[in-house]
Amino acid sequence: MAAAPDHLFNLRNNFYLGAYQAAINNSDVPNLSPDDAVERDSLVYRSYIALGSYQLVVHEIDASAPTPLQAVKLLALYLSSPENKESAISSLKEWLADPAIGSNPILRLIAGIVFTHEQDYNEALKHTNAGGTMELHALNVQIFLKMHRSDYAERQLRSMQQIDEDHTLTQLASAWLNLAVGGSKIQEAYLIFQDFSEKYQMTSLILNGKAICCMHMGNFDEAETLLLEALNKDAKDPETLANLVVCCLHLGKSSSRFLSQLKLSHPDHVLVKRASTAEESFDRAVQSVA
Amino acid sequence: MLTKFETKSNRVKGLSFHSKRPWILASLHSGVIQLWDYRMGTLIDRFDEHDGPVRGVHFHKSQPLFVSGGDDYKIKVWNYKLHRCLFTLLGHLDYIRTVQFHHEYPWIVSASDDQTIRIWNWQSRTCISVLTGHNHYVMCASFHPKEDLVVSASLDQTVRVWDIGALRKKTVSPADDILRLSQMNTDLFGGVDAVVKYVLEGHDRGVNWAAFHPSLPLIVSGADDRQVKLWRMNDTKAWEVDTLRGHMNNVSCVMFHAKQDIIVSNSEDRSIRVWDVTKRTGVQTFRREHDRFWILASHPEMNLLAAGHDSGMIVFKLERERPAFAVSGDSLFYTKDRFLRFYEFSAQKDTQVMPIRRPGSTSLNQSPRTLSYSPTENAVLICSDVDGGSYELYFIPKDSIGRGDSLPEAKRGPGGSAVFVARNRFAVLEKSNNQVLVKNLKNEIVKKSALPIAADAIFYAGTGNLLCRAEDRVVIFDLQQRLVLGELQTPFVKYVVWSHDMESVALLSKHAIIIASKKLVHQCTLHETIRVKSGAWDDNGVFIYTTLNHIKYCLSNGDSGIIRTLDVPIYVTKVSGNTIFCLDRDGKNRSIVIDATEYIFKLSLLKKRYDHVMSMIRNSQLCGEAVIAYLQQKGFPDVALHFVKDERTRFNLAIESGNIQIAVASATAIDEKDYWYRLGVEALRQGNAGIVEYAYQRTKNFERLSFLYLITGNIEKLSKMMKIAEVKNDVMGQFHNALYLGDVRERVKILENVGHLPLAYITASTHGLQDVAERLAAALGDNVPSLPEGKTASLLMPRAPVMCSGDWPLLRVMKGIFEGGLDNIGRGAADEEDEAADGDWGEELDMVDVDGLQNGDVTAILEDGEVTAENEEEAGWELEDLE
Repeated sequence: MAAAPDHLFNLRNNFYLGAYQAAINNSDVPNLSPDDAVERDSLVYRSYIALGSYQLVVHEIDASAPTPLQAVKLLALYLSSPENKESAISSLKEWLADPAIGSNPILRLIAGIVFTHEQDYNEALKHTNAGGTMELHALNVQIFLKMHRSDYAERQLRSMQQIDEDHTLTQLASAWLNLAVGGSKIQEAYLIFQDFSEKYQMTSLILNGKAICCMHMGNFDEAETLLLEALNKDAKDPETLANLVVCCLHLGKSSSRFLSQLKLSHPDHVLVKRASTAEESFDRAVQSVA
Repeated sequence: MLTKFETKSNRVKGLSFHSKRPWILASLHSGVIQLWDYRMGTLIDRFDEHDGPVRGVHFHKSQPLFVSGGDDYKIKVWNYKLHRCLFTLLGHLDYIRTVQFHHEYPWIVSASDDQTIRIWNWQSRTCISVLTGHNHYVMCASFHPKEDLVVSASLDQTVRVWDIGALRKKTVSPADDILRLSQMNTDLFGGVDAVVKYVLEGHDRGVNWAAFHPSLPLIVSGADDRQVKLWRMNDTKAWEVDTLRGHMNNVSCVMFHAKQDIIVSNSEDRSIRVWDVTKRTGVQTFRREHDRFWILASHPEMNLLAAGHDSGMIVFKLERERPAFAVSGDSLFYTKDRFLRFYEFSAQKDTQVMPIRRPGSTSLNQSPRTLSYSPTENAVLICSDVDGGSYELYFIPKDSIGRGDSLPEAKRGPGGSAVFVARNRFAVLEKSNNQVLVKNLKNEIVKKSALPIAADAIFYAGTGNLLCRAEDRVVIFDLQQRLVLGELQTPFVKYVVWSHDMESVALLSKHAIIIASKKLVHQCTLHETIRVKSGAWDDNGVFIYTTLNHIKYCLSNGDSGIIRTLDVPIYVTKVSGNTIFCLDRDGKNRSIVIDATEYIFKLSLLKKRYDHVMSMIRNSQLCGEAVIAYLQQKGFPDVALHFVKDERTRFNLAIESGNIQIAVASATAIDEKDYWYRLGVEALRQGNAGIVEYAYQRTKNFERLSFLYLITGNIEKLSKMMKIAEVKNDVMGQFHNALYLGDVRERVKILENVGHLPLAYITASTHGLQDVAERLAAALGDNVPSLPEGKTASLLMPRAPVMCSGDWPLLRVMKGIFEGGLDNIGRGAADEEDEAADGDWGEELDMVDVDGLQNGDVTAILEDGEVTAENEEEAGWELEDLE
């Protein structure tokens, strides 16, 4: 393993753990090699995307930027508005077909992300399955979990562990897997999030992770404290809101405010969709009885 | 071997430890006896009265005495407090080899080249017994620590054990008539009160040393045949048990270790050897380059040994006595003997967790050095010097705490030091190629990372970080980023103590404590003259540490102080409130309750929590010069004021803090010119004219007083000053006052009275006092001076001040934060008057009066508005005052 100091470590870590603003603020790292600089820029732009500043990214990346940044721009375009989706996907496919740039890991990563958004997991895996970077592996784990194939996810995780067991993404991926598998694995997931919270700054991602573990272990009081703390950090975060809804239901508290907040800000969130389909089926059932 | 102290001197032939103090006596071949403090490393005293080498020296157990014997055939008994030799015991006819006090009786045993051993009573200063039998030089003789026995070694190749029971009976119950008869017999016919019990033969050459075991019936001897022999005895006989071979030259001295089953010997082959008593094998050897060893001594109570050689001596111990321990929240894990133990601070419960070493595998200095604990995995890492540095990883069984003696399987590995760096990761230092191996709990290497500096030890520094120590610095290294997070130049750091919040770290070196932030930003350094032993952070962020003989504290600004003294070294494990938990050298948990007032007080002051400070002042007995000096130094003279009883100090503090009221009270009590003067200066600075006036009056500083009246426009008092000056015959003063008052007639009168007629004339005529001028002109006759032409004279009159009489607007004295809050405490009377602060003048005078002015007249004149009191009385005062 290379002994040189890893300059981008903090930046990457912040990004992975959802401390996007911190990632942007601390992105001014001196003495970067050209490759590192590109990686730095792509991480910064992706942080902006995560914060919802799609237009900023679209404007700042011009045609002369290297492929990875172009890919990031595509992601911003894709997410910015529903109208752009089609064009973004088509140019993405075009680039992937280009042998000169088709194998660029960031391009493949973006493709994976986009197709995951499209819920076209097969297409996504087509590009990410080959792996190559920790992020690609982590995305694989995520996709497999979405496909409810934890066996494949575990295999992916194992290969990540072989590369670097202590890598943040490896830890994060194993926490996801543990959560998906459930049972006694929850405790391990909790410890991983606990480690993160001791070592890095608290982000709503870490807090939510801990809260989910707590809820799985039936510890709803602690989960609520954690979630409220997360809500303090970001009052509009859909995951926090969704988890709070669940948590409040279990605690016997009213969850309607969080739910309506979620409906307003993120009408297409899974929880909202499922709630509304459930309501519809309930209505149907009522009608059939009436 | 851990060397604690070393001296350079002439050849050391005799050594003796003091039983209570950290002192050692060394008698030299040059004839000097040195008294050293081995803890401070200083020479306390030297005793130089023997003529020729001094071979034997011994401290008395309880009296301030020691005995010495030399080649001048003299035994000298010294009092080290009086720094002199009390008396000399004469009788031996040749060099004296050893001398020793009895632990109980007033006896001294001495061995001499005259082939005898003598027992002396140092109270009666007589020889009470001569033990004859050896037929060559007797090289050593010593009392048994409990029984009535003496063991001696001689160049006649024998070791002899003597029974002195009869001697003891004779001394203890001399009133017994029958015994007295027999005693007469023995006195007449020679010493049957000390008889040879056993003669131990076996050495092939002269025996240099023989010593009893402290508790078992064993004797060890060393001889010129290069052998150490072990002997056993019972009531009837004594026999040779074994021979320890290894020394390459004459064995000089040999003894049993008081606390371990080992024998220590030294020899002219320049080595000290340690032997296992049970296995009878050599355990360790320490060599010196050029110096032959001559003598050994062991401390009667502590684990300390000393050895004298050709060019000085060394004080050392064989094993570290610090138990390895790790604190995690409420629990303490530590090692004792061959067990891992667990201590719960809150419940003060101590339990044995599991064995960590095979029994009997105790070789020297292989005991655990450090211990690291992972609370999530419930595992411990124990590092020791076994196999040149290695670690063992144990999982603590959840259920079987306290039972079972079977050694659990440990995961082992070589490494300089090993610590947990994350929940399921530990780092092991590989010194050879300066890298750390990060391992998981299966003892598998997860990754390797080269270190940025040549580290010889690693410590925990937060999750994923390591604190690496090199000879002259420490760095914090992030294992994942492979980045140095902080670096600090330090003396060689021995221990690292993190605060609870991991924000501060204390680095302990031998004689210094360095406090730094988590990024190793230096905060303060404390230097100690004696060794720093341990430390822990209390809940308020105060670092509590121990040295060899003190518990001390250190605040984040570097202020430190002693909390209490210690008899024996302890190792602090945790500080909770005012309880200090610690381990002692026997591996016992102790808790010590300390008086935390002083450092809490200083901490509150530092953190500007004045409400706290105030309540502490109110409620606790905080006092003493130290606190006053501290407050003064830290810029809180007003607070210090509340502690002081001594008037002079009180006055100084009052002046410093501008508290005029208290200053007046103190000055009145002291009543010295200098103090009044200083009071006047401060009052003037504040514009408190009344006090200034009072101060000047007290010091009878009439010039200043007049000037004060002038500038305050107090005409009435000024004219009174003139009268006073007149009464005092102070012409100059009188003139000044007249000048200030613009009283020309008076001036002329004064000048005339003192015979300055020309001046009087000029004054009179200039100011148009024609009648007087003519009279004076007549008196002057021809000598009438001429007045300058063409100038119109005008009388200079001082302007009337804006503020006529009374105080000027007072300078705003910075009111201390404690003002008001402290009024009701401390010094009853004087402080209560504080409440009248800035009250009107009259009241303050009353106060002054109350405070005990004896001279009522003085106050009378001072009363405002009573200027024209009865003149006779005034005059009375003035005259009286002049005496």
